[in-house]
Amino acid sequence: MKLAQRYNRANLITSFIILTITGVIYYIAIHFILTGKLDKDLVIEEKEIEAYARNYGKLLSPGDFLHQKVTYQKLTTGQTIERNFHYAEFYNEDEKEIEPGRSLITSVNLNGQNYQVTISKSRAESEDLIQLIFMITLAVTILLLVSLLLINRFVLQRIWSPFYSTLGMMKAFNIAQKEEIRPQLTKIDEFNELNESANAMAARVRKDYRELKNFTDNASHEMMTPLAIINSKLDSLLQTGTFSSEQGALIENIYTAIGRLIKLNQSLLLLAKIENKLISDVQDIDMQQLVRDKALQFQELFEKDRLTLEQEMQPCNIRMSKYLADILLNNLFSNAIRHNHSGGSIEVVLRAGLLTISNTGKSEGLDNQLFERFSKSASSEGTGLGLAISKQICTLYGFTLTYQHLENRHQFLVIF
Amino acid sequence: MKILVIEDEESLRESIVAYLKGEGNICEVAGTYWNAMEKINLYSYDCILLDLTLPGGDGLKILSEIKNLNKTEGVLIISARHSLDDKLSGLEMGADDYLVKPFHLSELKARIMAIVRRKNFSGSNLMSFNEINLDLLAMEVRIKEKLVTFTKKEYDLLIYFISNQGKVITKNAIAEHLWGDEIDMSDDFDFIYTHIKNLRKKLVEAGAKDYIRSMYGVGYKLENV
Repeated sequence: MKLAQRYNRANLITSFIILTITGVIYYIAIHFILTGKLDKDLVIEEKEIEAYARNYGKLLSPGDFLHQKVTYQKLTTGQTIERNFHYAEFYNEDEKEIEPGRSLITSVNLNGQNYQVTISKSRAESEDLIQLIFMITLAVTILLLVSLLLINRFVLQRIWSPFYSTLGMMKAFNIAQKEEIRPQLTKIDEFNELNESANAMAARVRKDYRELKNFTDNASHEMMTPLAIINSKLDSLLQTGTFSSEQGALIENIYTAIGRLIKLNQSLLLLAKIENKLISDVQDIDMQQLVRDKALQFQELFEKDRLTLEQEMQPCNIRMSKYLADILLNNLFSNAIRHNHSGGSIEVVLRAGLLTISNTGKSEGLDNQLFERFSKSASSEGTGLGLAISKQICTLYGFTLTYQHLENRHQFLVIF
Repeated sequence: MKILVIEDEESLRESIVAYLKGEGNICEVAGTYWNAMEKINLYSYDCILLDLTLPGGDGLKILSEIKNLNKTEGVLIISARHSLDDKLSGLEMGADDYLVKPFHLSELKARIMAIVRRKNFSGSNLMSFNEINLDLLAMEVRIKEKLVTFTKKEYDLLIYFISNQGKVITKNAIAEHLWGDEIDMSDDFDFIYTHIKNLRKKLVEAGAKDYIRSMYGVGYKLENV
């Protein structure tokens, strides 16, 4: 749920509850006041009847009252009436309809004879008033709610727009790219603070990343010299005399390990170079020719494992570094060979803007981590960087490299 | 053959010198920029091995100095920088070849030999080992005057062996030399064996002696028998 939505909901619910309560209180209060006023009017009539009876010794005729109705009833001796106000029906003779009314029952003493007096008055007017007030309150409530909604929708959206713009830029933030987070200018302090913090964080992250990358780069470089020394010393050692085949096997193991270490180091350096966009020999590449050359280059490896190669080629020209194109194809071909089984097959399909290399294989489908650095199967003798490098090369030129396991074949797809 | 090794890493320098010495080769060494400049100005060599990162100055400056002095020495850059730009600018400035560290000493020797041959035998680039004679321009191999045909890989292998005669060459070095280091060979060198077997067979069938021997399972050596 969005913040604005949440805030709106709370706001609306609160407003609604408060307005309803206000409305009820309003209704009760007005009802109370108006009933009080009616009762006052009834009391005035009562006083008038009492005064008339006292002064003139007779009862006011019922016909003398405007808007009120008065009825008299003779009471038997000893019978007393408790004076009270109550709600009653009122028959409006002008309009010939029954309206809500208010009555006062009281008694008057005329020459020693007690009479019960009922004074009734129509409540229609006050009811109308209450209704009007209620309608106005309701209208105000609705108006308020609607305006709240509109404010939320349009004003809040505008107020929050710098936030969303910053958020969008944070989402698009790429640690390897130099672009700054450029926030929309705003007068709102919180958003300014957010922008400042986001920028400070981005700068800090970039700095850390740069340092880490430089470290990797320098470490790999520094390691090359001792590796070169070990390699040359091994070469020298071999020339010094006669070795038993046991010693020979040991030396070969050392060579193999050194070879892997060198390869690993070179791969790390290459990754850093691609990430830093330090490879600049971009040129037009005839992919068809390059794939053919690679197939020839790898031919002996195919033959060794008795792999059959099927090629389906159409012209395809791409602009990229020749060096990286070589590496990309080397990696994909090497993978297709290394993870194949003896007597299997490799199928290469090249069309304009599309290259697929698929191979039969030992293992089941691979998970999506295969493009991660150092992700490799336990049996693999590679560095675990080949596919990471391939992916990085594709990312550099905006190509997509995907993997799928189809009909028992491992398929790598490059969309240029 | 007189070679100047400009390399600041003493340990590596020693190995290179030890490998290149002998068979009438003379090696001189320089460990710093100024030391190298001095030797280049005073003496002349057949080939100069040039490291690019030196104490005292950039190796590329030495290269331009060599060219300014109109010296004809072959220059082989040996650098830890696996950088395309360095390689291109090095070759543009007149270096003959560029070898990235770490390298096999046998590869280094083969490259030096190639440079020196190109420099010295203008017109006819010949190479021989006893009864085996190679014409590198025509890409022909004659054994006892008889033309023998080899595949491209066998031919390359033969040159590699003759360049490194008397030295043990490892299978890794051979694989890298024949296929380049970009193809990952999965540390499986069976197919090298096939090429060497064929090479030996052809040599022996053409009447040459069997000069190539397997050494301790690690590599091979071509030597006089």
